Amino acid sequence: MNTEQFLEIFKEINSAVLIEIGVVIALAMAIIWCSQKLLPLLAEHLHGKQRLFVLALIPTVRVLVFVFAIIWIVPLIIEPTARNMVAILGAAGLAIGFALKDYVSSIIAGVVAVYEVPYRPGDWISVDGTYGEVKHIGMRAVEIVTPDDTVVFIPHLKLWSNLIHNANNGGPSLMCVVDFYLHPEHDANQVKHLLEDVALTSPYVQLAKPIVVVANEEPWGTRYRLKAYPIDPRQQFQFMTDLTARGKTCLRALPVNFAQLSPEHAVQPAPY
Amino acid sequence: MAKGNHWQLIPLDTFERPTAPASTLLQKAWLRAQNLIGIKDDEDTTPDEQDFPHYREFDLEPAVAAVEQAWEAAESEPCVRFVISPPFSGSGAILRAWADKHGYQQLKPPRKDQLESADTASWWQAQQCDNWLLDEFSSFWLRTTSHMQFMRALLPRLLRGELGAGVVVVDSWTFAFLQRAWPLSLPHCYCFAAATPELLQQVGIETTDKALRKLNAKARGNVGVALALWALAQNSERQTPRIPSEADDATAFILCALLLHHGLAGEYLQLVLPMLAPDQLDVQLLRLQQNGVIELDDEKVWRVTVYAYVDVRDFLASRGYWLDSF
Repeated sequence: MNTEQFLEIFKEINSAVLIEIGVVIALAMAIIWCSQKLLPLLAEHLHGKQRLFVLALIPTVRVLVFVFAIIWIVPLIIEPTARNMVAILGAAGLAIGFALKDYVSSIIAGVVAVYEVPYRPGDWISVDGTYGEVKHIGMRAVEIVTPDDTVVFIPHLKLWSNLIHNANNGGPSLMCVVDFYLHPEHDANQVKHLLEDVALTSPYVQLAKPIVVVANEEPWGTRYRLKAYPIDPRQQFQFMTDLTARGKTCLRALPVNFAQLSPEHAVQPAPY
Repeated sequence: MAKGNHWQLIPLDTFERPTAPASTLLQKAWLRAQNLIGIKDDEDTTPDEQDFPHYREFDLEPAVAAVEQAWEAAESEPCVRFVISPPFSGSGAILRAWADKHGYQQLKPPRKDQLESADTASWWQAQQCDNWLLDEFSSFWLRTTSHMQFMRALLPRLLRGELGAGVVVVDSWTFAFLQRAWPLSLPHCYCFAAATPELLQQVGIETTDKALRKLNAKARGNVGVALALWALAQNSERQTPRIPSEADDATAFILCALLLHHGLAGEYLQLVLPMLAPDQLDVQLLRLQQNGVIELDDEKVWRVTVYAYVDVRDFLASRGYWLDSF
């Protein structure tokens, strides 16, 4: 394809077309900007499922507006015939393959993420060992905030090859697990019932969800895992603190002795 | 005045809430939208609690007659009956009047040491009666691990008939919690049927039929709440108290605890919410009191006000709390 043939793909662009393109781009950016500002504000006043639904609308609105703007603008610039589209896509593919492979891969993964929803704003996810709440899903990356208030940008590219752990998967239910390590000499059933009551009497607990206690014996003592759900996923750390504090008080009053782990026991790997 | 007695005591599983007219639903949705976008009414929304009208108490005798009618029809008398009482419904007062009339003795609540050691035997020995009424079931215990043991020891004894024949009045919020905390569902549970416009007329609310239906829907069929909201509506200078805009998780914990225990003194509130610092708890309580959402009664017990109850319930529902069925 010579230069003349390549230029035939494009329509004649006059000032009216330029203004129309400018207006469409400005309008699309304004809608996206508004949705990214207003929907989080609205979500702040909501709780549970309603909050997560409103937050999930943000990337969906952006993709829809983006697609709509492309569909509007492309026919203004080129003749949308099959031949022209193949030529344009071929040229674009070449550029992407050489220079922008990862960037475009992340953008495509971002579109896939809107469709497959492995994470939504408000979800608690773990990627490559980094755990936090999804605050914003951008075109290229997802922005999470860790419990230590550190913002981490994770490219959507990770979606192709990494495991994405989603703790609440778009819902308000997020299981919290609190460990208690006890000296082996005690009544296990009594401890199990007590720990269930510790969760049941927590103001944070979601009563609609189950409370489970699992025990297993270790060489140094007995490990109990208390599993329960907070009313709101954002309360998970306060909930775990409450369970730990009240659990320790109740176990001491029982009385039960806590396991005394030496540092080498604490870090000793399992034999198999 | 509507003719006849419109009070009805019914099995709990047959209870149905009155449906709200479309205008009430729209009004509620509009208020919710206003709250979401932060619009506040121009008028003073932090009323002085002393200025609220005292809502008139209703005649208990027809309600007592409804209890008699419901239980006289039963073929065999069960050991223990449970009457589930939504807040401010007046069920406790009605059952106390019924108990006085029929010679049922009011049980004394267990002492703190009996609660903490789950000692139901010594508590029962001190009662010495065959027919009894336990009307403080929701307020004598705390949502703590030790008191849960007492409740788990008491409920099977009640159901086995070891404590004779009696009536237990349980707040609807306590009942909802017990349904989760104790796996066995309680038998012989009753409640008063949701109010009807005729019942509201019977207790003295005089207005149009349409207004009665709207009021009844807003009060969720609760006679006490309907009387309070109607009394409030008579005074155009006063508005229904609103949950403060600064309300957060701690506010929800406090309101839920107050409803669960039918009101709590400050020191007990601190016991069930140990994660709140005392000063934080004080700030929350004072803010809610300033907004007319809670009040401190003569016995120094904090309670949700009847005028704010509907708003408090909606607030807890919006946060995903475990609610009562009324």
